Amino acid sequence: MTAISRTWGRLTLPGKVVFTLVPLLAVLGAGLIAVVVLFGGAAADLVTANLGIVRFAVAATVILVITIPIAFLNIYLEMKVIALMNLRVGPDRVGPWGSLLSVVHGLKVLLKEDFTPTGADAVVFTWAPVVTYGAAVMTLVVLPFAPGLYAQDFNIGLLYFFAVGGLGVVGLLMGGWSSYNKYSLLGGLRSAAQIISYEIPLTLSVVGLLILAGTMSLNQIVQQQSGWFTDWFVFRQPLGFVIFLIAAAAEGNRTPFDLTEADSEIVAGFATEYSGMRFGFFFFAEYVNVFILSALTAVLFLGGWNAPFPVPHLSIALDPGSLGIPLLFLIALVPVVATVVLALPFYLVRSSMRWWVALIVGFLLFNVAAGGLIFAWAFISFPAVAGLVWFLVKAFAFVFLFVWLRATLPRVRIDQLMGFAWKWLLPAALLNLFVTAAAILVVGPRA
Amino acid sequence: MDRSLRARLEARFGEVLSGPIRQRHDETEIRIAPKDVPDVLGALHDEPEYRFVMLADLAGVDTGEVMQVVYHLWSDTTGDWLRVIADGLSREEPRTPSITFLWKAAEWMEREAYDMFGIVFEGNRDLRRIFMPPEYTSFPLRKDFYLADDAARSPGGGVRPSERSHAPRNSPAGTVRRVKA
Amino acid sequence: MLDDEVGLFEPIQPNPPRTEREAEFYTLGDGEMLLNVGPHHPSTHGVMRVVMKLDGEKVVDLDPVLGYLHRGVEKLGENADFHQSIAYLDPLEYVSSLFCEWPAVMAYEKLLDVEVPRRAEYIRVLSGELNRIASHTLAMGFQALDLGGITPILYSFIERDEIVEMLAALTGQRMLFNYFRIGGVNGDLNHDFMSRLGDWMSRAATQIEANMGLLNENEIFVRRNRGLGVMDSETALRMCWTGPNLRASGVSFDLRRAHPYSIYPELDFDVPTRNEGDCLARYLLRLDEVKQSLRIIDQCLEQMPDGPVMAKLPRLLRPRPGRAFAAVEGPRGLYGIYAMSDGTDQPFRFRIHDPSFIHLQSFTTLIPGHLIADWMAINASLDPIMGGVDK
Repeated sequence: MTAISRTWGRLTLPGKVVFTLVPLLAVLGAGLIAVVVLFGGAAADLVTANLGIVRFAVAATVILVITIPIAFLNIYLEMKVIALMNLRVGPDRVGPWGSLLSVVHGLKVLLKEDFTPTGADAVVFTWAPVVTYGAAVMTLVVLPFAPGLYAQDFNIGLLYFFAVGGLGVVGLLMGGWSSYNKYSLLGGLRSAAQIISYEIPLTLSVVGLLILAGTMSLNQIVQQQSGWFTDWFVFRQPLGFVIFLIAAAAEGNRTPFDLTEADSEIVAGFATEYSGMRFGFFFFAEYVNVFILSALTAVLFLGGWNAPFPVPHLSIALDPGSLGIPLLFLIALVPVVATVVLALPFYLVRSSMRWWVALIVGFLLFNVAAGGLIFAWAFISFPAVAGLVWFLVKAFAFVFLFVWLRATLPRVRIDQLMGFAWKWLLPAALLNLFVTAAAILVVGPRA
Repeated sequence: MDRSLRARLEARFGEVLSGPIRQRHDETEIRIAPKDVPDVLGALHDEPEYRFVMLADLAGVDTGEVMQVVYHLWSDTTGDWLRVIADGLSREEPRTPSITFLWKAAEWMEREAYDMFGIVFEGNRDLRRIFMPPEYTSFPLRKDFYLADDAARSPGGGVRPSERSHAPRNSPAGTVRRVKA
Repeated sequence: MLDDEVGLFEPIQPNPPRTEREAEFYTLGDGEMLLNVGPHHPSTHGVMRVVMKLDGEKVVDLDPVLGYLHRGVEKLGENADFHQSIAYLDPLEYVSSLFCEWPAVMAYEKLLDVEVPRRAEYIRVLSGELNRIASHTLAMGFQALDLGGITPILYSFIERDEIVEMLAALTGQRMLFNYFRIGGVNGDLNHDFMSRLGDWMSRAATQIEANMGLLNENEIFVRRNRGLGVMDSETALRMCWTGPNLRASGVSFDLRRAHPYSIYPELDFDVPTRNEGDCLARYLLRLDEVKQSLRIIDQCLEQMPDGPVMAKLPRLLRPRPGRAFAAVEGPRGLYGIYAMSDGTDQPFRFRIHDPSFIHLQSFTTLIPGHLIADWMAINASLDPIMGGVDK
């Protein structure tokens, strides 16, 4: 008990919140399951009556919760990929190949001292990370992860996305101003100038795509790209794609445009005075932003959850009930037999391996194989699973691209950055728009 | 060792030299009085037959009896270093004209000589301490400033309380090192 | 008017100002603010504080404040033997320690009239040029790091690590070598060193070129460095610049050719010079110098004579009273030692002239009118090492 009370005493306020909420939610969840089991019928009627609200509540919770593993994964990927590009090893110790490092970092920030610097505006200082993180999370609401797997399908989805995403800069400005530190002030002002300048090429570069698609709903934009990969918008709007990618890098404060948090110049920019979980929020928000921008690129230009080729609709209808009694034998025998069969080669070939170690290895391999088979079945039968996989592959391909850019390029100067946005990207986006509109007039609207 | 350089220097600056020109290995050394420093160095810098355009070093020296400021110059007309010693600054109030009008980089080198010895360079726009903190009161490289382990016996005084202890003053470390150099 | 209302964390303004320049600097105009690019900063190449007067992002004036790494080496040298004082010099320009020891041993050899054996001179040049390559690759890597590129510095460290391991095989130390002695060097070449050197030399040129290729043609790097921090040759001489910074401004002054020492007259190498005088020229010049150093190392290995590596000297050294000045061409410029002896076994005065000290003075000439990001780029291209600046 003393270990628990000692750890509790060391936690910061956000830590205490997390470690209270999680058990509470677990208890509530268990209670909910109990309710459903006991009062199954009545509960199901209640849910179907309020399906819209229930669906939205579940979706919002899932989105809020899913940002955390996404951010963890992004942080780990960035550390590992940049390390490998630098001919280093990167995180290595915590978990297999260091993969649990970001989880440990997340726990660590919860244990740090929670303070507000002297002279800082406490309210604004506290709310700045919340605003930034909230803006990032709210944009996930309209992203279609798979057919049918989205929180809401607005018919102004893209407009909502840009509007809400742009709110993140308010948080950066709040943080920069309220820290009572000239470095933070410089960082906050730089970020405001940068993000506002790059909003315009960002939005203009997709207007051509909007004209082609005829809709602002992200779900429908993805549906219009179904079929072969040549239907993807990247081939119909190449200039728009390039402009969007560059503007997205600037929006996400990624190198070569990361001068708002340029470590070598203004220490940590707007986040200089932040530490502990407050900094953790900014950090998370940045990495979630990277994922969101990559996902949006995938959705708009690379077909979202569509496969590159039209997939024939197969479904392997499995009805386990039809097997009857043999099913019991299968469930009893197959794991054992598979374990032994997979363990035999190891035991026979590697003389130093003990028999029970070989059995453990065989069991693990059986799990991997069974999991793989089930996954393959789900991939073929359920379009949602296949769509999700394709979506994640494309989104993380762009995440990898952003990380690659960070490892390779130095950063630009603020005046070069602004000049680039206003003098090059904006005219290019306008050019793209005019050419698209002219092409549509000449060629005629597509069916 | 450039004999022709010695001859030229004697011919040109003979009156202001306050000692014989010494040469050893690849260095030629002249001594002048502090008041002649701007003229002599200006002439060495500007005149086309000397062209000592590069100031390699500006150092303060405390010989125990007097203070000196030592300039090292390089020219492409000779293969020797030229050492100009401005000799005879008093140890109590060392003052000498500044040469920042010739080489702007002398500003910090003179600041360092001031910080370490207390030599005041007249004409230096920025004569304040460079290494030691601004409130420091001693001049560390003077010969009467001993290192902290025997600073207690230093007549120049230590700065921090730990440097002022109660050891006897007539110990061997209490004598100032002197040299005729 | 001096600013009467001071915020909680302003850099402390001296009141009354002690000099003209201080009064001029600490008088803030309309809309200007003072920013402490403090001793704790990722890009100051050591511990240095620069008080910047800013108008938004533009730097109006600067006041570098030194002394955070001042260790009193000149005073310590006066209280040590001639032999011991050499070890005090290593931590000055710690990246290129051999060039800190070299002028001291040369000055003492002048005081003692000692002749250094030829083999020792060749070994000195060989190890010195290796150290120069290590220092230059590091400087180029740091130039990229200060601009935001996180990869080239690690490639630079690969090169530096190999060289430093080589020098560890030769001298026993990876960084503060303490290798040169009065009258020679501390130990002869050994098998470990020669095999590592041979391996490395076979691929050094292409490897360094490939590593730096990430930057040479990078549009962002070039645009951030070209035309920045331009120093013309006349002002450079007035600011007493030496080394690669001076040669990038068009003045072809290299102490190895202008005032030859050691065995450099027998070696065949060029003195690269560039005329633009901007940060990019300084970067490319360092790359050129690395190639010339590789040439010199080749020649040293071919021409290495046999013989002793250390002159015969008594343990207790008492030179006759006198003065000596010696200077070498270090990776940053002219590194000089002025030594005075009074007939005892301790130096009487031990003056160290460091090139980074001189180059830092040029901040007030080069930077006003540019942005903070440009200060970073110019600082990195001047390649100061604060250990030497603060002595």
